[in-house]
Amino acid sequence: MRNDGFFKRAVIIGTVGWMAVFAFVPNILVFLASFCSTSSENFIEPGFSLHNFARLMDRTHLEILLSSLRLSGLVTFICLVTAYPFAAILARTRKPLRGTLLLLVVIPFWTNSLVRTYAMTAMLNSSGIVNNVLMSLGVIDAPLAMMYTPGAVVLGLVYTLLPFMILPLYAALERLDRRYLEAARDLGASPWRAFWRVIVPLTMPGIVSGCMLVFLPGIGMFYVSDVLGGAKAMLLGNFIRDQFLTTRDWPLGAAASVTLTVLMVLMLLLYWKSAARLGKEAA
Amino acid sequence: MKRLALLALCLLLASQALAASKELYVYNWSEYMPDSVLEDFTKETGIKVVMSTYDSNEALYAKIKMVDAKGYDLIVPSTDFVARMRKEGLLAPLDKSKLANLGNLDPKLMNRPFDPDNTYSVPYMWGSTAIAVNTKDPAAASVSTFADLWKPELKGKLLLPNDMRGVLGMGLKRLGLSLNETDPAKVGQACDLLMPLMASVRVFDSDSPKQALLNNEVQVAVLWNGEAFIAAGENPDIRYVYPKEGFSLWVDNLCIPKNAANVENAHIFIDYLLRPEVAAFICQEMGYSTPNLAAKAILPEDVRTNAIVYPSSEDMDRGEFETDLGPAVKAYEECWMRLKTE
Repeated sequence: MRNDGFFKRAVIIGTVGWMAVFAFVPNILVFLASFCSTSSENFIEPGFSLHNFARLMDRTHLEILLSSLRLSGLVTFICLVTAYPFAAILARTRKPLRGTLLLLVVIPFWTNSLVRTYAMTAMLNSSGIVNNVLMSLGVIDAPLAMMYTPGAVVLGLVYTLLPFMILPLYAALERLDRRYLEAARDLGASPWRAFWRVIVPLTMPGIVSGCMLVFLPGIGMFYVSDVLGGAKAMLLGNFIRDQFLTTRDWPLGAAASVTLTVLMVLMLLLYWKSAARLGKEAA
Repeated sequence: MKRLALLALCLLLASQALAASKELYVYNWSEYMPDSVLEDFTKETGIKVVMSTYDSNEALYAKIKMVDAKGYDLIVPSTDFVARMRKEGLLAPLDKSKLANLGNLDPKLMNRPFDPDNTYSVPYMWGSTAIAVNTKDPAAASVSTFADLWKPELKGKLLLPNDMRGVLGMGLKRLGLSLNETDPAKVGQACDLLMPLMASVRVFDSDSPKQALLNNEVQVAVLWNGEAFIAAGENPDIRYVYPKEGFSLWVDNLCIPKNAANVENAHIFIDYLLRPEVAAFICQEMGYSTPNLAAKAILPEDVRTNAIVYPSSEDMDRGEFETDLGPAVKAYEECWMRLKTE
């Protein structure tokens, strides 16, 4: 019992300490940096102003933000509609096969995602596998230009992020009590109606966490846009990276990063508010 | 028990000291040094080389400054960044007494204003940024100037370096200006000129632009001569054009960051790279020009006379070396952001 308490404490202290050092402190530093200014001698000159946030409000920066949100929204949507049926089937599959299927979802993680992104260029380029197969089948005469397009970026992001959608959805669907569904059918709901009114609300936590896990990295994964999109800055992640490494305007990059975090928090709050209200109405 | 612990501690410290004396951390451009050079060096000296790579001077500078010139033992900045890092005290002076092969270097490339007396740097390789074309494509084959890149036939067939000065240099040269123009108004003018070109760009790449050229993704690429050299070796349809308006020349230099841990090893490695046979091998493999006269003398005829590696003196006259822009760099950076985002 005493050992158990020690173990518990060690785990909690370890995790909290880890988060404090590697997540909380860096985020605080980014937050502070967003109010500073920069000079040619130092990346960050201490001070306080909202100047960087004001600069973010100009047309160019807003356009980057909007196009990035749009692209990531599309990626999240594609992941959701692909992952949902898959997770549903997975949750109903018998035990040994289910384990194998889950393993197959996780296996790509054994290879670094940057390497996998480079591997996609071998599939997509003009003399790549996809074009060669399509041409030898006579479907197309000339190679399709797939590399360095927004479509390639979306494909790369969906491929990389799909497991992050599948796993929370699977967890939610597996917990789903099938008796609710039977009750809905008994009370005369069509399968469609039962799906929308029963299954979707019950798996909403899984949907929300899956969307969060896909949406935020979808904005930030700059290397996918670099490798598959031809480094034509499209994602907010590329913009932030360029501020830190190329133009060395750290405070502006920090401000962009903080803005993104605030946006995400606002969206979560909105979800919680509406979920709480819906819960009350239902009660 | 206590004695055992002490012994263990001693062993640990000794092994760390040993490891420290046998390691070298190199931070280099990607595709700039053959792996076999590092392996041979380790075989000969027992010093283990760990190499990581970057794709722009800006990235190198930001990293070095961020880690307070610690962590890496050897870096390879271009001239303009040698000047800047030297002024900011980010570089350690070289001990020339440890560089026996220094005399092999071309005196014309030594003691230049960016680093008088080569106190902090020795040239590693030099080269040009010009245009590689795939002559199979008629529109690409006719390219002889930077201005040709604006032709509508080349839309979607163009690769540009993911490098601020490389891209802005094209606009400045097309206006007949210097690559090192410091008047913000003129830089802005070059920027306006470049803006419509962005719609023609298929990809920005400074890591391995030859890939897109060899995979037929692009027909025209503005790139470094070494990349063109390798691409032309694999595909004989690829030609390297020195544009009429002029083009950029650069020298990359071996430097030791101020707070490097393995300064001694870095000197041993620099001296190794200055050996004629090593420098000649690197030059043949990578296709950039060596500043090492003794190495140039032993290069095979076909490399020494290759116009991609060594431009003719007529072409060379149109080349211009990049220098540190000082505060004028702000105008360049603003333009680069505009080009990449609009």
